[in-house]
Amino acid sequence: MHPFQKARTAMRMAWLAAGTAVALCAATSAQQAQPQDIVFKNATVMTASHGTIEHGSVWVHAGKIAGVGDTVNAPASATVVDATGQWLTPGIIDPHSHSALDSDVNEATSPVTPSMHMIDAFDNRDKALYQALAGGVTTELLLHGSANMIGGQAVVIKNKFGLDRDAMLFPNAPGSIKFASGENPKRVYGSRDQLPSTRMGNFEVMRQAFEDAKAYMATWDAYNAKAAKGDKDATAPKRDLKLEALADVLRGKLYVQIHCYRADEFLTEEAIAHEYGYKIRAFHHALEMYKVADKIAPEQTAIATFTDWWGFKDEAWDAIPWNAVMSMRKGVRVALKSDSNDHIRRLNQEAGKMVHYGGATEDEAIRMVTLNPAWIIGVDDRTGSIDVGKDADLVLWNLDPLSTYARAQKVYIDGDLFFDATAPGLGATHFTGAMHDAGGFGSDDDGNGEDGQ
Amino acid sequence: MKKLFAVALLLLAGTALLRAADAPKKVIAIVGGRLLTVSHGIIENGALVMVDGKIAAVGAASEVSVPNGAEIVDAHGFTVYPGLIDPETNFGLTEVQADVNSNDLAEPSDEIMPHMHVADAFHAETELIPVARLNGITNAVVAPATNDSIAGQDIFIQLAGADRDQMILGRDVALAMNFGAEQRRRGGRAGGHAEYPSTRMGLITQLRQAFLDAQDYMAQRDEADKKAQKADKPEKAEKSDKSDKADNPFKRDLKMEALIPYLKGERPVVIGVYEGYDIETIMALAQDFHLKVILNHVTHSQEILDKIAAYKVPVIIGPIYDFPLANERYDAVFTLPAELARRGVKVAISSADAGGPVSSHSSRNLPYAAGFAVAYGLPYDEAFKAITLNVAEMFGFGDKLGSLDVGKMANVVLANGDPLDVRTDVKQVYIQGVAVPMVSRQTKLRDEFSK
Repeated sequence: MHPFQKARTAMRMAWLAAGTAVALCAATSAQQAQPQDIVFKNATVMTASHGTIEHGSVWVHAGKIAGVGDTVNAPASATVVDATGQWLTPGIIDPHSHSALDSDVNEATSPVTPSMHMIDAFDNRDKALYQALAGGVTTELLLHGSANMIGGQAVVIKNKFGLDRDAMLFPNAPGSIKFASGENPKRVYGSRDQLPSTRMGNFEVMRQAFEDAKAYMATWDAYNAKAAKGDKDATAPKRDLKLEALADVLRGKLYVQIHCYRADEFLTEEAIAHEYGYKIRAFHHALEMYKVADKIAPEQTAIATFTDWWGFKDEAWDAIPWNAVMSMRKGVRVALKSDSNDHIRRLNQEAGKMVHYGGATEDEAIRMVTLNPAWIIGVDDRTGSIDVGKDADLVLWNLDPLSTYARAQKVYIDGDLFFDATAPGLGATHFTGAMHDAGGFGSDDDGNGEDGQ
Repeated sequence: MKKLFAVALLLLAGTALLRAADAPKKVIAIVGGRLLTVSHGIIENGALVMVDGKIAAVGAASEVSVPNGAEIVDAHGFTVYPGLIDPETNFGLTEVQADVNSNDLAEPSDEIMPHMHVADAFHAETELIPVARLNGITNAVVAPATNDSIAGQDIFIQLAGADRDQMILGRDVALAMNFGAEQRRRGGRAGGHAEYPSTRMGLITQLRQAFLDAQDYMAQRDEADKKAQKADKPEKAEKSDKSDKADNPFKRDLKMEALIPYLKGERPVVIGVYEGYDIETIMALAQDFHLKVILNHVTHSQEILDKIAAYKVPVIIGPIYDFPLANERYDAVFTLPAELARRGVKVAISSADAGGPVSSHSSRNLPYAAGFAVAYGLPYDEAFKAITLNVAEMFGFGDKLGSLDVGKMANVVLANGDPLDVRTDVKQVYIQGVAVPMVSRQTKLRDEFSK
């Protein structure tokens, strides 16, 4: 080893050791029981559901929000956080992330893989989770990639970085499944001379999958009917994980989250959903929604969109930064999402851009990264706004979170402090040991096939 | 050669000025705004007069006399500042990232490609430029992508103009160099054979050889020039045909030729490098050949910041959004501009998203990257310089651009608030004193579907 290199390595080791020591100290203090009651006083409280309260207070009791307003009835024993000059928002929610999945984002070996479960790839020590936490992100929908027409089933996490894998799962969150159409499945299978290599192929693959699922359901229905009548000769059909997952779509048991870009594809996807009797929870990316928002609004399908990414491929050529606000004005529920380990760290700024591009109010803008993504995931009754009874997922910011200059100071999840920018070292109050680095950019859709989709 | 180049530069500059003069001769006075001059502080309730494409007056509204017949722009409540300059883009080298036919980003057939001139590929009509311009970007450096150790020579552009020649303010303004893991020939993402140079040792050796070869070439060429001059000088006209020059014509080598201005330190080399240890390696080489260095990226250099300051070279930070290493604090990269500026380093900030510089679609976010540096400790004035005057100075345009000063090109922006804040809307961009239509393909789509 070159002597300089040795010195550098030694420096790095020493630095790491110092970092670990700091992290250990922080963890020790964090292991003390969280206070049962916390009161944030004198904050600018952006509730996301009912406007902004200047000099407001929020009371957290046993991990839930127990009071919010000009004043709250917290017990005298409550731990007081003086938030003078600071902003308090609900935790940021990302409805489209591929973080912490190593490179296992796409099972790109068949265009229909509904029985893949992203939880099986979830690496709870990935550094991307920490970096997102430091950006105020408390909940993420970790999705399968967009290589397949029907991809795998998502996992919903609370970003309790430092806890074990299962403790990071959002308890009893509804299931979601990822669909995709357009260039990505075309490219993946077309490059192998396989179906689907066109949009015609895209949608026929989907229809066939649902026909298969209907036949499978019919076989089971027939068997169940016979069995119910006490027919002892009835033999149970073979269980098929793939077809069962598709049947769950047709039974309405899974939220359908669809990656697609173009206006014509939204219309085709809605038509197929009507044909087979399921609802589409959200279109993801949805960069051309502004063209057909009036047609999609009555379907009550939301969108999870980029603010200003464009031009990375043909189907992103008509992207405009006004898409989100224009679609919102036509009655579509709009969320912003990252699809990126980079942007997930600054979704608050992405919301701020909506003030610029289309004149969203601050209230509308903050809702795009809190309550609206919570609805897409199906957890809006439990998080996404500062309302009594909801989980105490909260971020304290040094400045207005919609400005370029805002930094998350403290991040609470279920009332527990998971990030503190003012703490020494990493500021990740529950984390010890070493982070994993999966590399990549956490996107399955950066236009250059980074994750091979 | 040097003279020839100088003449070429003059001609080029002349062309640009001539074309600008074709524009309607208009006098515009922006009155009542908050002027961020960059060079001499903030002027509240200021006035700025633009005549013939240049800034003719700047000062307090009470002190600046507005010429008769000037078009008056009421800027009360608005911020007025010099056009922003993005120090690294791929404007005109890419249109749709995934569409290979629209890309002329780099020539990966060899690692040493100094004779690739971005000017030869620059597609002036790219849709990316109006999109960036709407957010106040008026100038940019266009560089090739980063595949090669020496990828080619940059251009410095104006984000408006009737054609390519009007938009290119300077060709071959800098040499684009790169050093690190990415340039190793390991068969690439698609697989294939590894070939030399497949390690950092190989990359550096190859670079050293290239610069040595160029030095030799320069000596041979000078020698040949001397001989040719001797042969030409006292002899009669008919005899000169039989001179050395005619018998042994010196064969020009374009690759070697391209390195000469950089070996002479006449123009900067921009070295894209991410890791601290790579910076130390490449800087040793650069110092051996007396290259005039601008460092670029320096993402993981936190351990050697003092050393970087001691190099006394300017640094482009970009993207500020690159990821810290595992177990590093989340803001290890966000704080780099502040840490370097604190050590006296001249800092510029580029626009790219994490994932590398090939992201000129995001150039419009340049002011927000600078704002983010402010959030993490860079003084506001320094941040503003990092996307205006510092960039102009690094690339040889410090006397023409980058601040609101009399005599400079009238590239001026009017916005409804703090330019570095994501919520701010740019209302008008002036380039060479002409109000640029605030239209892009995207605004047309917006308007079409807003009917």
